[in-house]
Amino acid sequence: MAAVVETRDLTKKYGSFVALDRLTLSVERGQILGFVGPNGAGKTTTIRILVGLARPTSGSARVAGADCVTEARKIKRLVGYMPDTFGSYDNMRVGEYLDFFGAAFGIPRRERVQRIGAVLETARASSFRDLFVEALSHGMKQRVAVARTLLHDPQVLILDEPANGLDPEARIEMRHLLLDLAERGKTLIVTSHILPELARICHRVAIITRGRLRSFGTLEEITRQLRPSRPMEIQLTSAAALEHVTALVRQTIEPDAEVSSSPAELVVRFRTTKRDEELTGLLAALVAADAGVAQFREVQTDLEEAFMTVARESG
Amino acid sequence: MNPIIRRELLEVLRTRKALLLQFGLAVGCMLLVLVRWPTGEVADLTGARSVQVLLVFGYGLLAGILLLVPAFPATTIVREKIKGTLALLFNSPLSPASIYLGKLGGALGFTAVLLVMTLPAAAACYALGGAGIRGGITLLYAVLGVAVLQMCTLGLLVSCRSQSTDSALRFTYALVLGIAVLTLVPHALLLGSSDLWAQLAGWLRCLSPVPAVMEVLGHADVGAHGMISAQSVLPRYLILALLFSLVCGLSTVSLLNHNLFDRSRPAGVMTEDLSTQGQTFRRLLFLVDPQRRSGSISLWINPVMVKEFRTRRFGRSHWMLRLVAVCAILSLGLSYVAASEARSWGIEYIGGGLVLLQIALLILFAPSLAAGLVSSERESGSWQLLRMTPLSPGKILFGKLSSVAWPLFLLLCATLPGYIVMMTVKPELWYQVQRVVVCLVLTAVFAVLLSAAASTFFRVTALATTASYLALLTICVGTLLIWLGRGAPFGHATVAAVLSINPVAAALQAAEMPGFTQYELLPANWWIIGSACLFLLIFLRFRTWQLCRPE
Repeated sequence: MAAVVETRDLTKKYGSFVALDRLTLSVERGQILGFVGPNGAGKTTTIRILVGLARPTSGSARVAGADCVTEARKIKRLVGYMPDTFGSYDNMRVGEYLDFFGAAFGIPRRERVQRIGAVLETARASSFRDLFVEALSHGMKQRVAVARTLLHDPQVLILDEPANGLDPEARIEMRHLLLDLAERGKTLIVTSHILPELARICHRVAIITRGRLRSFGTLEEITRQLRPSRPMEIQLTSAAALEHVTALVRQTIEPDAEVSSSPAELVVRFRTTKRDEELTGLLAALVAADAGVAQFREVQTDLEEAFMTVARESG
Repeated sequence: MNPIIRRELLEVLRTRKALLLQFGLAVGCMLLVLVRWPTGEVADLTGARSVQVLLVFGYGLLAGILLLVPAFPATTIVREKIKGTLALLFNSPLSPASIYLGKLGGALGFTAVLLVMTLPAAAACYALGGAGIRGGITLLYAVLGVAVLQMCTLGLLVSCRSQSTDSALRFTYALVLGIAVLTLVPHALLLGSSDLWAQLAGWLRCLSPVPAVMEVLGHADVGAHGMISAQSVLPRYLILALLFSLVCGLSTVSLLNHNLFDRSRPAGVMTEDLSTQGQTFRRLLFLVDPQRRSGSISLWINPVMVKEFRTRRFGRSHWMLRLVAVCAILSLGLSYVAASEARSWGIEYIGGGLVLLQIALLILFAPSLAAGLVSSERESGSWQLLRMTPLSPGKILFGKLSSVAWPLFLLLCATLPGYIVMMTVKPELWYQVQRVVVCLVLTAVFAVLLSAAASTFFRVTALATTASYLALLTICVGTLLIWLGRGAPFGHATVAAVLSINPVAAALQAAEMPGFTQYELLPANWWIIGSACLFLLIFLRFRTWQLCRPE
């Protein structure tokens, strides 16, 4: 599938400070890219280049075939951008607020009225239409911001911290909304510090620190890339066999591998590079020794752990 | 010591603006004294030179107090309210009274620092002779001190009631103008009369520090044609100003509580959702109902202009209609005054009054409308949303400027009937009125462009508003201080040169107002202001492009 968003060796320098260092990534149609990184990593700089608000020092960025530098006007129609600040106007109702942006995008009146109704419906914000923008709660504003972003029917949506400051219920609703938009064929780039949220919706993840792309791919690919050894756990039914099980594990896996046991939890933990087929022998040995094995499982590495690994490695 | 006073003072004194202000004040005072410092071998024993300096010095200080002082207290409470630190103060053991006194003390303290910096100049005036310490300089400082208190308490009251820093500034400056200038108008109109209304007007004018300062500096009352009044306004001013400050202070303290944050959100009720009776009632009550759903913006209208009107508290259609109505009433009143008083006052004074009224309205409204055009968008973060739309910088600028031009056009039109009456009374005034109207239009354009240009420099609207008012008032009012010292210490050529950049002076000269007729300001002033407008327009276009382009 052809990439809708593509950056190649994208670099941005502010004097001697390198905000973005040869960033290369691509996102396909209908995919959600989670853009993760600590504060000041270069996420917003990348986004601002993609939406045409900043120029790269070198490299290129394209959205739906349009160059972000030379075709800035085209980019404005192709991309819907939701910044981390809402950008409200005083004394304006939600309907008027959306009407203004619709008119600014040159949407004809009749079509605009229909589109406002539709985007408010999509963002589950139809009931806010007559409310004053400044009187909305943070969660309501986020929904109106999504509606505004969708108004000119862009191909790509770039959302900077959409779940920031939302309560758990609103966060779940936002998650569903983003998945819904991806199903409709929109390409989304989403930044967030709430990594478990992002892990649930993203097809691909890009981890960036100090302006450099540290890891890029599906969550599975990233965790495999970051941690070649898998974390495993053996849950026992009693503490009697704990030492015996620990010794058995040490004999079976790599000699320098980490093995630890927790008498309080009745758990033995270890990391190994061995494949599942190779571990069946260990499980058989444990069962034969009547060690009282309740569970023998791989612990799933989440985005948070992957991110922390990258952050630690990059200093 | 009240911890708020310390924090407020440190916060203000640490800024570069405060440093520049102090430096500018010191340099200004020094130059003023240097101009009249005796250099020859002959000493002036009459002290006339000192009095000349004192006149400019006294009025300069008064103008400075009226222009600069209100800006600090007007923003101090509302800024804390927006930042959320006021709630923290309420949760501390500090009482509302101590919070208020802290804020007031901070504002008074900073002003005291500025006034102390002018003391060497005052001492120099005393050393030159002619200005007594007890009757002249000390009394002047006492009156100015009371004026500072009056402006600070007023600013704090407005700040407490406002929801944004720029609206606080606008309302404060409007009230300062009302108290300092508009309170003088009824007395000037009823001068010579001794009925109850005239007496009330006499008391009302004592709310303004202007007559008190005029008395201290040995000038006659406003509109008294040089005749010194037998009755002193000083005691009246001191009583009224202190009473006014007390009322403002008590009102502010009573408002400083958790109720400031305890407000429900507007429910967003629309007239269309009401019953038929309710809808009919609202239709009768409002000619244009503000609660009706507004229509979509036509593609042939600049959407930025419509947005600007809609986001302004007084920009909605019903408010514009009210503005037209008020202007029409004002215009009828002026026409009546022009028709009835033309013989007794002289048509020049009527014309001068009209010009001053229009200029005052322009100076008050133009920065309040134009100073937030770009800065408010940058402050709220909506500027980058506007940049993300396909609107060109030229279209954005045109929409924004048009939204200011229309209300000002209405204001200008409102006073035109007054001129028509004047021309009916004296038909040969046609040429004169034409010149006045050109001056007024140029002033309006200049004020709008200057404020809009200031707006592109600042990210905070309150700063842009203050800068616009200061720049405009320095040009339109500050240069009149030089005119005040005409003859001495400033010569005819100096005054004429300074006034040539002042559109107000040009309008007054065109209206043949006494005191301005001896200066040939036109058409030089038109060329200067016109060139300045052109430069500002080009600059604005460049700045808008600069702010819209990718970084």
